[in-house]
Amino acid sequence: MSRIGVFICHCGINISSTVDTEELRRFSGELANVVVSKDYIYLCSDAGAKLIKNTVKEYNLDTIVIASCSPKMHEHTFRSVVEEEGVNPYQMEVANIREQCAWSHEDKEKATQKAKSLVAGAVAKARLLKPLKKQKVTVVPQALVIGGGIAGIQASLDIAEAGFKVFLVEKTPSIGGRMAQLDKTYPTLDCSACILTPKMMEVANHPHITLLSYAQVTNIQGSIGNYTVAITKKPRYIDVDKCTGCGVCAEACRLKGKIPNEFDMDMAKRAAVYVPFPQAVPLKYTIDDQTCLYLTKGKCGPSPACLDACVPKAIDFTQKPETMEINVGAILVATGYDLFDPSAVHEYGYSRSKDIITNLEFERMLSASGPTRGDILRFSTEEKPRSVTFVLCVGSRDETHCTYCCRIGCMSALKQAYLLREKMGRDIEVNICYTDIRSFGKGYEEFYRKLRGMDINFFRGRPSDIRPLADGVVMDIFDTITNKLYEISTEMVVLIPALIPRSDAVDLARLLNISVSADGFLLEAHPKLRPMDASTDGIFIAGCCQGPKDIPDTVAQASGAAVRATSILSKKELEVEPIYVEVDKDLCSGCGVCASVCPYGAIDLQADPDKPGKQIAVINKVLCKGCGLCSAACPSGSLQQLGYKNGQLVAMIDAYLE
Amino acid sequence: MKQYGFYLGCLMPTEQYAYELSLRETLPHLDIELIDLPGASCCGEPMKSINQLMTLYLSARNIAIAEKKSLDIFAPCAMCHLALTECQHILQHNESMKNRINSLLAQEDLEMKGTSRIFHTVDLLHDVVGLDLLKHAVKNPVALKVATHYGCHLIRPSEIGRPVDSENPQKMENILITLGATPVDYPQKLDCCGAPILAHLPESALTKTGQKLQAIQDQGFDALVTVCPWCQKMFDARQQKAGEIIAATLNIPVFYLSQLLGLALGIDKKKLGLHLNHSSVNSLEVEEL
Amino acid sequence: MGIKDLTTMGESQVDIKNEIRQRMDKLVEELPDFCFQCGKCTSGCEAYKLLELEPHRIVALLKRGLIDEMINSDVIWTCMSCFKCRERCPQRVAPVDILFSLKNLSVLQGKQIPGKFTGMLQSILSSGLIQGIQEVTTCDNRTVTRDDLGLPSLITPDSGSFQVSKIAIEKI
Repeated sequence: MSRIGVFICHCGINISSTVDTEELRRFSGELANVVVSKDYIYLCSDAGAKLIKNTVKEYNLDTIVIASCSPKMHEHTFRSVVEEEGVNPYQMEVANIREQCAWSHEDKEKATQKAKSLVAGAVAKARLLKPLKKQKVTVVPQALVIGGGIAGIQASLDIAEAGFKVFLVEKTPSIGGRMAQLDKTYPTLDCSACILTPKMMEVANHPHITLLSYAQVTNIQGSIGNYTVAITKKPRYIDVDKCTGCGVCAEACRLKGKIPNEFDMDMAKRAAVYVPFPQAVPLKYTIDDQTCLYLTKGKCGPSPACLDACVPKAIDFTQKPETMEINVGAILVATGYDLFDPSAVHEYGYSRSKDIITNLEFERMLSASGPTRGDILRFSTEEKPRSVTFVLCVGSRDETHCTYCCRIGCMSALKQAYLLREKMGRDIEVNICYTDIRSFGKGYEEFYRKLRGMDINFFRGRPSDIRPLADGVVMDIFDTITNKLYEISTEMVVLIPALIPRSDAVDLARLLNISVSADGFLLEAHPKLRPMDASTDGIFIAGCCQGPKDIPDTVAQASGAAVRATSILSKKELEVEPIYVEVDKDLCSGCGVCASVCPYGAIDLQADPDKPGKQIAVINKVLCKGCGLCSAACPSGSLQQLGYKNGQLVAMIDAYLE
Repeated sequence: MKQYGFYLGCLMPTEQYAYELSLRETLPHLDIELIDLPGASCCGEPMKSINQLMTLYLSARNIAIAEKKSLDIFAPCAMCHLALTECQHILQHNESMKNRINSLLAQEDLEMKGTSRIFHTVDLLHDVVGLDLLKHAVKNPVALKVATHYGCHLIRPSEIGRPVDSENPQKMENILITLGATPVDYPQKLDCCGAPILAHLPESALTKTGQKLQAIQDQGFDALVTVCPWCQKMFDARQQKAGEIIAATLNIPVFYLSQLLGLALGIDKKKLGLHLNHSSVNSLEVEEL
Repeated sequence: MGIKDLTTMGESQVDIKNEIRQRMDKLVEELPDFCFQCGKCTSGCEAYKLLELEPHRIVALLKRGLIDEMINSDVIWTCMSCFKCRERCPQRVAPVDILFSLKNLSVLQGKQIPGKFTGMLQSILSSGLIQGIQEVTTCDNRTVTRDDLGLPSLITPDSGSFQVSKIAIEKI
């Protein structure tokens, strides 16, 4: 016979202003098996915990019912509290009388009535609860980091420094990501490559980091503490042990200067064999299998030019994709962002003029290693422009494209305007068309002040359209500050587009079983308090894949996510909630419906050792995440989820309906 | 023959006769039969500033007249096309407004259901007739460098559904290429003709008209092509006045698309109403003219 | 309580502002509330250069409830209904629709209707069209009408059953 204690929380006035907690306490005290019923203003407080513990001791309780806020908030806390007093933590049930009652209703009488039903239901289930033992999972002390930009690099270094092995998987031939494409960073105007490459070298040299570049994750199984990950390494067609990165192959390539170079935003051309940029890590060449003549057509002249030119004989066209499997205890996603395509904002003419470019394209132009060697030139005439106009918020803060602010647009435009002024002196007219200037970070406002003193024409407004002319570009813009319409005749327009998630972000999310928010970025477990946890335990997110942000915030989040990961990796074992499913072998008919609905591949049909010729369902407790689909689908009722058995749930429902 | 309720509007049947003439002449050659809609009235768009409810009523009534004959509607005026389309869009989402208007229409034994589709000259030629059929029907290619003017009401607002793209419309260009012409995009392509303020602010309206014509003239076009009687009225009938207002000499031939279509099909100039154009269409040096 | 515009001494008219919102709710979905004054509408406004219509300012005044200033002005009648503001607004605000509602309200309040609108209105009430059959001049200086050109006769609405005069006095 269970001895149940009911505890009613007021939650300040959140619950008590709508639900009559005194009446609820009285009602609960009269239910069968309820030995004592108390109410308190804040059960989640220290004093509340003490109240619960003292009551457990005094009344010798073995089962607890807590009527409070959502179990998502404090179930975990309450379980720990009762466990400290010797009560099995799974003989505790939470009735949500806040989100599901006090906060959703206004009529006090009816809300109190409903709260009574909710508590009665919880008590009915609690009577049938059995003690459960937590599962233990052995933790694999290794981490997987997906994405080799600054977020992935920082996170890998942090986890490796903490003493754990890290597998860093990067899709492209080199790590470095977007930061490698930048010329300088704001507000300090550090050379981006100069601050990035030392970290890249650290990653390459770190004994605990295994860098898997030009590779992709293809499958993930398992759960927190123990994931099995399948990785495919794409063939470079180059033996990396022999390749010295000398570049003779690229010089010799018959397609030299013909293939648009993705790193330079397609503004420059490369060969079919290439490194993305000179400071690539690893500094090994790759043959692009989409364009290489030998790989696509089977023939490259009398013999492949690269093959002939390579002295250490590193070219190897026989290479095939390699698959490998690794085991890790935690996964960190840092896959970064893409740029919104401004041709979707047709009125801004991006696709109609060579002189209307994006800020990332302009950044490559500014860069000394870029397509113009750092010279500012109009693509139409290859001459220096006499006027450059920046247009902010292209596709951002826009209900018809991306509703959110891109967060980096204002500062990146100010930085580029600064560098432009620095390179070209007084001879160039610089215009910036903005809606707001968001210079929120440390040193950002001071940087904006500096820009205001640099003879730049700031217009507060947005042009309705941008019109390429035979020579130059023109736009009308209403400046709300001087209340006048200006016609800006300019020679180059730099559009600052929105940031969007990578096109394959949704696929990766599906693979990992994590959620994506409405804007397509990866969803954090809680926007304020758990911004680097994905919605599934054991998986963490950092950098722009979670939402647009600049480098300091990215690095901070990456280090934070790394610590979150190491908090798992540093344990030998993890305790996992015992809410998995059990099979009653006598009832199971081996129909297999459960296995077909399980999203986690946790159910197998195997031969029943006791009954030859018969099959039964076997549950892998580690893979099982307690979603309950199988037990709902099971026609015989042989599958029961611990803590949520049919009998317990039916008792709850009966109590609600009384 | 595909049948369409021929919705004339106001300006075309009472003043811009060339448009109606050229449509009635050319469309039967392309397998389109135009059925008159007796009792039709103004679409109400010119009255929108006075009373939007009247606009909705008038448009709904005209749609109902066509629906009674089970006909889709062909509205060659861009302003009418917008009025009818917007009316359909609003009443589709607003049950009480629809009922209110239908209760008035019931007095004339009419009901607006929203079943008729509404077409304009550009999508009728481009999407219904189709470029292939058009190509085969062309006898005398019209070799002119032309500027297209779609008109604001044909291209916007895109969210209620317009027959062409709002920022980069190309259907007229495709049709003109099929007719043998050379359309060229120009920066002022989407600018307004000024018609909606002609009644009460004529100087400003004609300044707009003149400015666009000047830009077209400066860029060496042979002709301007329109698809709305209001736009044609401004650019063609008021071209001289517009020139006076902006103190410029404007001399650019302005055609209805249906007139160029007729010329390409080998139809006689007079039957296409070319003698009614005010601009210098008749002094153009093209073979068939 | 309330807001006063010190330039015009106009007070915020919350009731009329709500009436305009209601009219708009009944006809279109855009709401003026979401405007953040980026000015894209005014940058492209066909009526700005010649007639100084500032659509973003119209929206801002509506948000503050300063309606009288607008209803009594000529500027609201300058809109060319080109719909560029509605098309390109990043917050789905439609100044053009606000202007239509302001003009309607101005007429309802008995303000003078500009230009030839009255004539057109009367013509619609009597014949259903904004004007009668016009005489036009040909390029060889003859005058012709619809009949001369061989176009079929126009059959206008039957004045007995045409209900337009009823709706002319109704409110939205």
